[in-house]
Amino acid sequence: MNAIFPLDPHPGVLVVGAGIAGLACARDLAHRGIPVTLLDRGRGVGGRCATRRVDGQPVDHGVAFLHGSDPAFLDALHSVPGATLLEGWPSRVEGTGAPCQPDAFAPNERRVAFAEGVTAFPKMMVAGLDARLVTTVVGLHAEDDLWRLDLAGGGTARARTVVLAMATEETLALVDGLPPGDLELEGARHLLRMVAASVPCLTVIAGYPTDVPAPAWDVAFPETSSILKDVVHDSAKRQDPRWTVLVIQAAARWSRQHAGEPVASWTQSLLSEGARLYGEWVAHPAWTQVRHWQFGRIESGNELSGPLVVEGAGGRTLGIAGEVFAEGGGVQAAWTSGRLLAARLAERTIG
Amino acid sequence: MNDTLIHLEEIVAHEREHECEGLGPRRLCVRPVSVAVLPTRFGDFHIMAFWNNRDGKEHVAILHGDVVGRENVPIRMHSECLTGDALGSLRCDCRDQLEAALRKVGTLECGAVLYLRQEGRGIGLINKVRAYALQDRGLDTVEANRALGFRDDERDYAVAAHMISTLGMKSVQVMTNNPDKMKQLQDLGVHVSGRIPHVMPPNVHNRFYLETKAARSGHYIDFSGRAHLPEQAEPVVIEGMPEP
Repeated sequence: MNAIFPLDPHPGVLVVGAGIAGLACARDLAHRGIPVTLLDRGRGVGGRCATRRVDGQPVDHGVAFLHGSDPAFLDALHSVPGATLLEGWPSRVEGTGAPCQPDAFAPNERRVAFAEGVTAFPKMMVAGLDARLVTTVVGLHAEDDLWRLDLAGGGTARARTVVLAMATEETLALVDGLPPGDLELEGARHLLRMVAASVPCLTVIAGYPTDVPAPAWDVAFPETSSILKDVVHDSAKRQDPRWTVLVIQAAARWSRQHAGEPVASWTQSLLSEGARLYGEWVAHPAWTQVRHWQFGRIESGNELSGPLVVEGAGGRTLGIAGEVFAEGGGVQAAWTSGRLLAARLAERTIG
Repeated sequence: MNDTLIHLEEIVAHEREHECEGLGPRRLCVRPVSVAVLPTRFGDFHIMAFWNNRDGKEHVAILHGDVVGRENVPIRMHSECLTGDALGSLRCDCRDQLEAALRKVGTLECGAVLYLRQEGRGIGLINKVRAYALQDRGLDTVEANRALGFRDDERDYAVAAHMISTLGMKSVQVMTNNPDKMKQLQDLGVHVSGRIPHVMPPNVHNRFYLETKAARSGHYIDFSGRAHLPEQAEPVVIEGMPEP
């Protein structure tokens, strides 16, 4: 197996996962002068903050809007250059079903969306950072005072400090491969098992001609459906959209039960349920795309208070961050956990 | 109606529309909403209930004597602990510490116990049970406890500092065995004039502190073999023990 970087071992920190937690961590480390490289299996950064372009029109098919109450996080959202911030989006909410995060509509919570798509935020964060995309980490091993990452395709990368910033289940899969024995690592592993309860989300993106009776809401949280978690009127975020676009997201339990079925089958179920709730036109889109989020979001109550730092032999250090590792879950929690982790790692590296 | 209560009611009336930039990184602001007499088995107090701008937690100040406008007011910050304070759990020392604080303040000319509803804010209680579950498996590790947020919350200081300011205390003496708490309050603009060691009387439940040496990762092991985490974020001191 060959090292994929010219410098082996890597002189700073390898961050696995370029979602919001990984980006926030990498950015803060880089600001402190620590060399950092991000690895992500995806073709773009942002993780579940994901935007596609369909016929030139941006569509957010993961996180529909961003929300928070931490002044520093809100400042970060407001500092995206060149982006059209939609303050207070969604303002038109239909239905009394539960949003993904219970706090999303709390009185002190601010909500925003981006007309260019939610990836405007992670794209700002990755600017100036070394990010290797389409790079999948399949193994984690201790090698003297270093960590070795095995990559899909046969390459390796080594560093003294590795950050895992993925879904808890993915982190656990890597950490579970490490031999038992170290008490701190055992504690961390048990903790990860306790909170590894991400829920899947089957998602259908449906496009309609703009002459359909477009919904009078931005987001709907149906209270009477066992199939749908929410329906997002995505094109309401866009300037002069070519298509009216709905992003239809299935409930956790339903997603789990139907994930193994053919895509066409669950797509039809979601569209039919949408039509039952919001009008027959929903059942007849001009086009559809799908996304199966295996680790769509966390259930509230599973969060920890902060990130994990586990030190091994010779100063070998493993940091773990993600939305589970800060109160409240969601994008703000991911961001917070990444920053806290960077601060703690920097203390060790520099101090 | 006594003079102290009148004083406190004036504060509630005066602060009715209070709004400020807030304290600490989360810009926390509290507002007293109501005050009443609270006789307890530990002495006579007033209880003042506070609203805050960040979450639904209702923090309270338990006041003895007239603290308004006073200097060197003895205060104790106590973090809510459902299992210890209310249920009498023997996995922690919170109830002993709370009782000792109330008894002590009750004997002084004036003083305050600031009862901070940390637990149950968000995920506190769930994570405490998780920490106990790890302990039950023999995995009482520093890092896991840290990730669980075991009594490591700087936001409580912002609540306490704002309460002190609302109550017009000119300076305070902090009842604590953790000098860091004084610094945290000072950083938030509180004039800290001194520290009073928080010493508890020995009883059948905390006797092990006198009989065993601090063992694993600085935790005391109780008679049933469990480590006692410092849940009030400071070392426990029992009468007869040297100060840490």
